[in-house]
Amino acid sequence: MADSQQPSSGTRTQPLPDEAAVIARAGAGDRTAFTQLMEHYQSACYGLAWRLLGDRDQAADATQDAFIHAYRAMASYRGGIFRSWLLRITANASYDILRRQQRRPTSPLPDPEEGAPELPDRFAVNPLAEATRSEMYKHLEVALAKLPEDQRTAIVLCDVYGMDYNEVAAMTQSALGTVKSRIHRGRLRLRELLTEHRELFIR
Amino acid sequence: MLIPNHPDPERLSALASGETDATADVSLSEHLSSCDSCTDLLDELGAIRMSLAELPDIAPHRPLRLLPEAPADPAAVDRLGGWARRVFAPVLTAGAALAMVGLIGTASPALDDLAAGGQDASTLETDDRLAAPDASGALAPAGEGEGFTADQGETAVPLQSDTDGETTALGGDDGGTDQQREALRETPADRSPWPMVLFGGVALMVAAALMRWILVPRAA
Repeated sequence: MADSQQPSSGTRTQPLPDEAAVIARAGAGDRTAFTQLMEHYQSACYGLAWRLLGDRDQAADATQDAFIHAYRAMASYRGGIFRSWLLRITANASYDILRRQQRRPTSPLPDPEEGAPELPDRFAVNPLAEATRSEMYKHLEVALAKLPEDQRTAIVLCDVYGMDYNEVAAMTQSALGTVKSRIHRGRLRLRELLTEHRELFIR
Repeated sequence: MLIPNHPDPERLSALASGETDATADVSLSEHLSSCDSCTDLLDELGAIRMSLAELPDIAPHRPLRLLPEAPADPAAVDRLGGWARRVFAPVLTAGAALAMVGLIGTASPALDDLAAGGQDASTLETDDRLAAPDASGALAPAGEGEGFTADQGETAVPLQSDTDGETTALGGDDGGTDQQREALRETPADRSPWPMVLFGGVALMVAAALMRWILVPRAA
């Protein structure tokens, strides 16, 4: 585990306005269209990889691996939410790195508080609310990084990126009950870690 | 820190996820309707879950390669380099062996010549001696050593005039033998395949070295 990182934009990447057309062109072998898609979603993929791996260089490597896999699989993309499809590929690429390293299940991520503080979104309608939200995100990232690896992986894939239990079980090669248990124990551990900042989360 | 009669907190987390077995659990919902602490815990777990789902994307700390490089297929380069690495040693060995054979083959006629320097004279003497009786006892063909004539002394002289024609003929034969000898002496050097074998071996070695240098990727 290496360095720290802070979220950049305070938002999640939304689909491109003409995404279906760009995907069709990329699927037909248009390299420019593929580059446009990857450029658009790189923050989403990198964020997932970083939350799973906790090392920014490894996260960059995993994201680039995912783009190579996506390029090869592009012709076989059969619809659905493109962001989810790409995130699944990124999760697999990141998990491959995790498996290769045979990391200890309890290794914590670095403390994001060591990094520079996140600036509020300057386009926000209510800067105070956005500042509060940014503060909440930061504490949440810190707490998430302190979870044991198995719980963190399950929480990140399921709660942060919305994958269903079966997908997470298949990806981590675990039983469905094990995945559920990791998620529930992980959430309870997060609650303990965030006790001091409870007021930020109760809205 | 489970208080008796309170549900397992993991059951509350399952309820926060909307898992059907938890939502369908009547005893759980009944307990929640009368327990503020469990209701608070459920709310907190739900809030954490919602906050997790909102965590923002993260911009990469360095520019990423968005597209695999098209022109060069790294796997193909690796395959070619691996192939070149594998064949280098056998080809170099074969070239060296070929060059060695060629070198020995090229050098051997010269050695033969050196060895044949003394043998030529004795061979000719034998030939001449064999030829002499056929030439009515002429034992001293033209151009052959004076010692022989002197050794034969008186017997040689009376025969001289009788064998003139024959002597000339023998002299002519001798001239022909010299030419053949020259031809024989030149043939191994001029027409022998050994220099070509030597050249081929050296060329093979150079080709192997060049192939390795060009095809095998070097550390930057």
